[in-house]
Amino acid sequence: MKKRIEDFAKLENEGADTLPSAERRRFLRLGLTVTGVFAGGTVLSLTSSRPARGALVGGEMLRKDPYKPHYSMVIREDRCIDCQRCMDACVKTNDVPEYGYRTTILERELEVGPGEKQREFMPVLCNHCNRPPCVRVCPTKATYKDEKTGIVMMHYEKCIGCKTCMAACPYNARYFNEEKRAIDKCNFCFDTRLSKGEKLTACAAACPADVRIFGDIADPDSRVYKLVHEPTRVVWVLRPETGAMPNVFYTKG
Amino acid sequence: MKKVLCIGVAALVAGLVLHFGPAGFAEEEQEHGGDIIFTKPVKAVLFSHQTHIDQGLECDSCHDDPFEMAAGTAEENGDFTMEALYQGKYCGTCHDGETAFASNTRCAVCHIGVKGYNRLYKLSGEEGEGGHGE
Ligand code: SF4
Ligand code: SF4
Ligand code: SF4
Repeated sequence: MKKRIEDFAKLENEGADTLPSAERRRFLRLGLTVTGVFAGGTVLSLTSSRPARGALVGGEMLRKDPYKPHYSMVIREDRCIDCQRCMDACVKTNDVPEYGYRTTILERELEVGPGEKQREFMPVLCNHCNRPPCVRVCPTKATYKDEKTGIVMMHYEKCIGCKTCMAACPYNARYFNEEKRAIDKCNFCFDTRLSKGEKLTACAAACPADVRIFGDIADPDSRVYKLVHEPTRVVWVLRPETGAMPNVFYTKG
Repeated sequence: MKKVLCIGVAALVAGLVLHFGPAGFAEEEQEHGGDIIFTKPVKAVLFSHQTHIDQGLECDSCHDDPFEMAAGTAEENGDFTMEALYQGKYCGTCHDGETAFASNTRCAVCHIGVKGYNRLYKLSGEEGEGGHGE
């Protein structure tokens, strides 16, 4: 994954032709238009299509997303300062061991001018994919997509530690937890916070730079919805070519 | 690892910085202050005296106002925050969008993060904390 992420710097629009049409439709449903595919299909960029939506999009497209709430995270990438308070909060809240992680920060250098480089940090976590490859390959159904919230969760007791899901995840979002003798991963803090009435995940609440915006993307009043649907804002997702349909969006500013 | 890190930070804050500063810390750089690594309120921010002198700034451009000569004074003040910078204090004296790029832009020019910090002090591997590598 690291190498792929480094490739993101060489953003060159390759056109959106290779994008699976299901993926394109899903973004249309969210009111987004695909503006390009970058870095060998690794990054998909989007803008709001709301002004055009009424004219172009028929009933099928406007169908509601299946989850209520539909949890999502928007990451304002260029504001991340790698203070890692999110990681610390996640570790404390979710009892993540020293060798493991549910989220981490990647680092890359962007070419911003001739010979001029700029550092950029990129938080990554489970994308709670709409079509999660990890769930598809799990032989025991230990990992599953929660029908209500869309969160991809674990039944630890069902996990046999075969690590097939680890290999299948395009985002490298899983690790083997020695103590649990099972795979562990981000669950949007469902057991530790959301189910107890908290509105934000631990990482979002801990971020001093307001990088991680968490909420219900099916709710037009939510911050995530508003951010993603700002008419001039460019939003992107990672590795759309896998067809996993991620629910973590990236943007700048 | 957490513990090791905390001890490391405590030692650095206690003033050991000079004894095992970053590799390639040139003598003449030290003469005019060298690099300052701020770790509070967030880890970490790199201030390079050299970069600022290269812009034609003099010592008294920043000392004793907005910054005292003694390293670490700003960090101890308790108001050394982005909010203060936006109000024109500390770095915000110049980093206001006119004299120099605004404090609320280009975050990672100054913020080197935990990774940058660990690299400078070689506290852990290349990746810094966490093991998300391949
Ligand atoms: S807490 Fe926020 S700014 Fe700090 S590393 Fe995490 S996402 Fe980045
Ligand atoms: S990011 Fe990986 S672990 Fe998360 S749902 Fe998608 S495939 Fe599964
Ligand atoms: S949402 Fe919760 S579990 Fe997931 S990375 Fe953030 S703090 Fe960790």
